[in-house]
Amino acid sequence: MKILLIEDDREAASYLVQALDEAGHVTHHATDGETGYAMASSMDYDVLIVDRMLPRRDGLSIVESLRAEGNKTPVLILSALGEVDDRVTGLRAGGDDYLAKPYAFTELLARIEVLARRSSPSEAATSYQVGDLTLDRLSRKVERNGESILLQPREFRLLEYLMKNAGKVVTRTMLLENVWDYHFDPQTNVIDVHMSRLRAKIDKGHANPLLHTIRGAGYMIRE
Amino acid sequence: MSRFAQLWRTTTVRLTAVFILLFVIFSILLLAFIAYQSSIQIQQQQTAAIDREVQLLKRIDERQGVRGIVFAVARLSSQPGPGIYYLGDSAGLQIAGNVSGFPQDVLQGSGLFSFNYDRDSPYSEETGKGYAVVRSLLLDDGLRLVVGRDVVERRGFTALIFQAFVLAVAGILVFSTLAGVVTARRVLKRIDTINATSHKIMSGNLSERIPVTRRNDEFDGLATSLNAMLDRIEDLMQGLKEVTDNVAHDLKTPLTRLRNRAEAALRDSSGNDSKNEALETTISESDKLIKTFNALLMIARAEAGAPSGAFADVDVSAVAVDVAELYEPAAEEAGMTLDTRITPGVQLRANRELIGQALVNLIENALKYHEPGADTPGHISVAVHEEAGRVKIEVGDNGPGIPPEDRARVVERFVRLEKSRTEPGSGLGLSLVAAVARLHRGEFRIEDNHPGVLAVLDLPKAI
Repeated sequence: MKILLIEDDREAASYLVQALDEAGHVTHHATDGETGYAMASSMDYDVLIVDRMLPRRDGLSIVESLRAEGNKTPVLILSALGEVDDRVTGLRAGGDDYLAKPYAFTELLARIEVLARRSSPSEAATSYQVGDLTLDRLSRKVERNGESILLQPREFRLLEYLMKNAGKVVTRTMLLENVWDYHFDPQTNVIDVHMSRLRAKIDKGHANPLLHTIRGAGYMIRE
Repeated sequence: MSRFAQLWRTTTVRLTAVFILLFVIFSILLLAFIAYQSSIQIQQQQTAAIDREVQLLKRIDERQGVRGIVFAVARLSSQPGPGIYYLGDSAGLQIAGNVSGFPQDVLQGSGLFSFNYDRDSPYSEETGKGYAVVRSLLLDDGLRLVVGRDVVERRGFTALIFQAFVLAVAGILVFSTLAGVVTARRVLKRIDTINATSHKIMSGNLSERIPVTRRNDEFDGLATSLNAMLDRIEDLMQGLKEVTDNVAHDLKTPLTRLRNRAEAALRDSSGNDSKNEALETTISESDKLIKTFNALLMIARAEAGAPSGAFADVDVSAVAVDVAELYEPAAEEAGMTLDTRITPGVQLRANRELIGQALVNLIENALKYHEPGADTPGHISVAVHEEAGRVKIEVGDNGPGIPPEDRARVVERFVRLEKSRTEPGSGLGLSLVAAVARLHRGEFRIEDNHPGVLAVLDLPKAI
């Protein structure tokens, strides 16, 4: 994936560039708003990571300008401001996701990989398939190996989100944000319990499990 | 600056000055109007009196002839007063009267005339120039009759009015200036008190308050609301100080632990595995620190008080259903049951995230203090209902409960009851719930659930 990182903190940026490189992504780095905007509008990137507070031009105005020009590259906004209001303004400006500092690298990586997928056409798919597991978004039916699986509405949305991002790591916060629409960290293992229930419904009695726990990061559904 | 200049700069004095000016102008207009109307009235009365005398003399002339009228005019002329009388023959010679030397047109025409004349009448009390209003006419028998009045009297009346006017204006000026100065000084004194108090406060004494008198006037109203504002500021400052102290304590302790662990890992030469383990604990410790920090920020923001842009019409019931559903499996995992008594469709103008977070904290609290070995199975109930314009969000458990004397204290920041010191968590959960309640102008109470804790978030519908 080709990524543009606009971040003025050089140390944080070089750490990120290196970590993204290790994860197999090509990352360009701009240290101020103007340069970042020039690079984002002249080159083709899969994902932009934009810090909110930047010298010379602030992050939100970069995103707004890009969107006004019709540039649809997915944007992840990074910010030290993590309140709900800040998140809402960030997303309203045209950002696709918002991550408050400090963050875990695994969280950032999981989010940009999911974001980049958005530009691919599967967004509008009416059904998902992973191995012998199928999910029909219209009839809201889930089948594995031809056998129908009964899911609660929330379990359905959980599985839907996982399957939409099949093969990608999905973190607990991402699940909480996208399935429950809350933006806080629960202290206990609430998400894990939901996942183990879901796992019992779709993997139990099957030789090859589809739902995997990725240690220190989150969950992934794959063949 | 002189005291007078200072007085002049006060609003009261300026307003008083403007009012005095307006009052004087109005008085002048009013008095001028009265004087004008009165003089017209007097003139009409005089003319009417002259006409009556003329009629009387005409009748005497008709009935008693020349002798009668000569006698009558002579008698009238001899009376002291402002009367002017003249009787002459057709040749223009004076027969009787007290004034002579009329202008020619008076003795030739007929009608009403007014003119200056010399008061030379032996009967007149005044001498010198006079001003006369007279009616002149030719009687049937050829005699010229002139009857009139010296209008000095009228002039005297006008002068009297003018005198009264000058006196009145002088009085108004003196009294209103006095009143203005007194009022201004009083106002200035009150304002000076407020100023002095605010200077004291600015120089650091936050406990200073503006004195409130018993008069209960607008200054007392101002002082009361300023004092309330100062109370709020002092509360906030006090809160800030406590936060600083607590942050210092609760963040420094884990930071020290973190540092020690990193140092130990650095010294440790036993190999990569233990180093990795140390690094992993370091990361999870720092995550906990970040969570504590976030919770503190959230409390601070909620306590700062202004309903923010994130306030919207929220279906509290839906939020409660969501959160209960989110936690139901976790409760079951912990060997507890979670049931709900949620009235559907309870609406509230609120911050959805904060209401959700408060509910999460209450449920997590109930989960945390559940004693796994207890005889009765653990039970959590989540209820939302609306009564008398208030929305009540309740989370109850059947755990060990909180002694009544500790109930108010647990909602303070960082307080964890002694018994539960060993439990995980930063002790900020309930403080955040309390802050959320305050942000929504409501209150957070802890009640007895017989047994256990009933946490009640009691919020008014209208903010």
